[in-house]
Amino acid sequence: MPALAQRLGAAPVAATVAMTVRARALRAAGAEVIPLTIGEPDFATPKHAIEAAYKAALAGQTKYPPQDGTPALKEAVQRKFRRENGLDFALDQIMVGNGGKQVIYDAIMATVDPGDEVVIPRPCWTAYPLMTKLAGGVPVSVNCPENNGFKLRAEDLEAAITGRTKLLVLNLPNNPTGAACTKAELGEIAAVIRAHPRLWVIADDMYEHLVYDEDFALVTLAAAAPDLAERIVTVSGVSKTYAMTGWRIGFAGGPRALIKAMVNMQGQVTAGVSTVGQAAAVAALDGPQDLVAERRAIYRRRRDMVVKKLNEASGITCRKPEGAFYVYPNIGGCIGRTSEGGRKIETDQDFAMALLEEQHVASVHGAGFGMSPYLRISYATDEAALTEACRRIAAFTAGLR
Amino acid sequence: MHLTASRLDRINPSQTIAIATKARTLQAAGRDVISLSAGEPDFDTPENIKRAAIRAIEAGETKYTDVAGTRALRQAVADKFRRDSGLDYRPEEIIVSTGGKQVIFNAMLATIDPGDEAVIPSPCWVSYPDIVSLAEGKPILVPCSQNHGFKLRAEDLEAAITPKTKWFLLNNPCNPTGAAYSAADLRPICDVLLRHPDVWVFTDDIYEKLVYDGFRPATIVEVEPKLRARTITMNGCSKAYAMTGWRIGFAGAPVEMIKAMDKLQSQSTTNASSISQAAALEALNGPQDSIPGMVKIYNERRDLVVSMLNAAPGITCHRPEGAFYVYPAIHGCIGKTSRRGVKIADDESLVTALLEEEGVAVVHGAAFMYPGHFRVSYATGTDLLREACTRIQRFCQSLS
Repeated sequence: MPALAQRLGAAPVAATVAMTVRARALRAAGAEVIPLTIGEPDFATPKHAIEAAYKAALAGQTKYPPQDGTPALKEAVQRKFRRENGLDFALDQIMVGNGGKQVIYDAIMATVDPGDEVVIPRPCWTAYPLMTKLAGGVPVSVNCPENNGFKLRAEDLEAAITGRTKLLVLNLPNNPTGAACTKAELGEIAAVIRAHPRLWVIADDMYEHLVYDEDFALVTLAAAAPDLAERIVTVSGVSKTYAMTGWRIGFAGGPRALIKAMVNMQGQVTAGVSTVGQAAAVAALDGPQDLVAERRAIYRRRRDMVVKKLNEASGITCRKPEGAFYVYPNIGGCIGRTSEGGRKIETDQDFAMALLEEQHVASVHGAGFGMSPYLRISYATDEAALTEACRRIAAFTAGLR
Repeated sequence: MHLTASRLDRINPSQTIAIATKARTLQAAGRDVISLSAGEPDFDTPENIKRAAIRAIEAGETKYTDVAGTRALRQAVADKFRRDSGLDYRPEEIIVSTGGKQVIFNAMLATIDPGDEAVIPSPCWVSYPDIVSLAEGKPILVPCSQNHGFKLRAEDLEAAITPKTKWFLLNNPCNPTGAAYSAADLRPICDVLLRHPDVWVFTDDIYEKLVYDGFRPATIVEVEPKLRARTITMNGCSKAYAMTGWRIGFAGAPVEMIKAMDKLQSQSTTNASSISQAAALEALNGPQDSIPGMVKIYNERRDLVVSMLNAAPGITCHRPEGAFYVYPAIHGCIGKTSRRGVKIADDESLVTALLEEEGVAVVHGAAFMYPGHFRVSYATGTDLLREACTRIQRFCQSLS
């Protein structure tokens, strides 16, 4: 076979995907695996979004869409940003992609030249550093320690910025930790960004509607620091808020020149986005929002239950995060021990693999997100399965010698 | 520091979109404009396919799928390749992407290192050279003249291949010329490729079903199975089933290549829309009776457009085998002046004057890396086509 390109060496299979594949294989072999791995809601897409998709298909909205999104969806996104985030974008400052992932890919490919540095707080979604490498850039990690609530500290950000830094990626609420910053904390981060006028920022707000405590109000960076708006691209989508992962609809608002460059980039990768999906997204954004609140209450109950149960398991401590549908328990107390099945637990990967093999609970090890020794547990699964999974995790850690 | 990444400077703004935008602007201003610039069928997606999508939504198929597509769709694609071309692909050797374009993007990014060359017959869809450039490769265009039916000659391919050649890309039937290759046409091309074992082959067969007068297009691996280990066979639903807006393309390739493309796709978009995948499954596995009807209409339109354009002074129009385009030469118009005093210096000035003076939008040949022609899409209602061709005739007659 003729050779593959060197850039591919920069793109290993995502850690989350590898675990999913193994879990699928075990299940195919008859095991009752509880998957706590995947980042998608277990709820159904709202009915009114589905009906809008029907209508669009039957009305013949099946032709090439404009590459930056249909006018109807861009207008709905414009209203969403105004209503929910207090951000005011003109229509040529908005674009639609095949999922938030593509929007972020577009933004990274449109800003990062070979050798440019991209500051990525970690733990982080694996896609950010991988996309950076695909663009020839250099990911620069900044640790967000557990004792700071897994949040980025302004002084750590300042120390990470060099003359080659092109981009900062903020993901709040965060995948995998669920951490989200208060307005005051964001203000400190904004002050650092303000001092570095050549820095672009991606604010990935995909989980913005999944925050749980009444005394916590989520603010996006461009709203907290409007003077920086010319350098911020704000990304969100319908996948997590409206349980529409399979539809592949994400969007962004940002400075006109950058949005134009992102559309240009996307034009070379996929052109536009499924028209039927775009019609569904309009209905989701413009339609009744009560399902969002109902589901938030369910996620909240699950979060509280999972955090409590995990803290009861020996060798595990689990911080209660502000949002998303993940918790990121510390398994430091289990390292160096041996499982009932005789597996030595030297790393969080050993833990996750042994837990999968012996108790059939699939999770993702923290190393996949750049911070060990932790696990990422997704609670986008029904409460019965979650309860059973927590029971199995406790049994697993109780069996460690 | 430059505002945006330098890779974007390697992409040309789409001239097809520029023309379409200009036509829409004129229309919005109240002008009577007929657009022959579209690259998509004017038919609607067949009803059974739309219904299948609706059933999938109702069944809750609204979650992430495998990056490479659902197992069922990959099996259906494998079956399609076997049924239509006698190709033998396993589902593991299939990837489903967000449009055929993403397959091309994945393939080029997965293989091209800076300086690698990709041989592309021209005229061509401009995305091929753009994507190659984006991957830091060098597009090598090989002109295919109207005298040879816009088909690539084996000796020209042989002369274009160097030690730096990584790819040969073939679009069969071709956008913008409509030229299509039979098994006999492909044989000498395959013989050249057999002599260059380090060259990957990409065959974009997206217009496969749109061929006329009983012509049968062949695909590379069908003609030369020995090339299978380094060929990507690409196809999709957009043109055959009028499904452009659903964004489903797919390919068969050796499993290592599929894995490489899967990796890249998992970093850019993940899976194609789950609903669109369900629609594509019905398109491939369901009744195929919508296709002959569409093909019959396209066939009649092609014949109409070719004969009317050949009756316009200064224009010669080849009758191609497939797609829904013709690519007339305008050499007899060059150097003349339009009624409103516009000098026709090249294809671009001709299409601009034609749009402004007669309200007909076509795309100039330079947009397909091959000037001296323009592209007419006949994916438009037959009456409108007749009127548009009458206007083109009138425009050409008025040149002095």
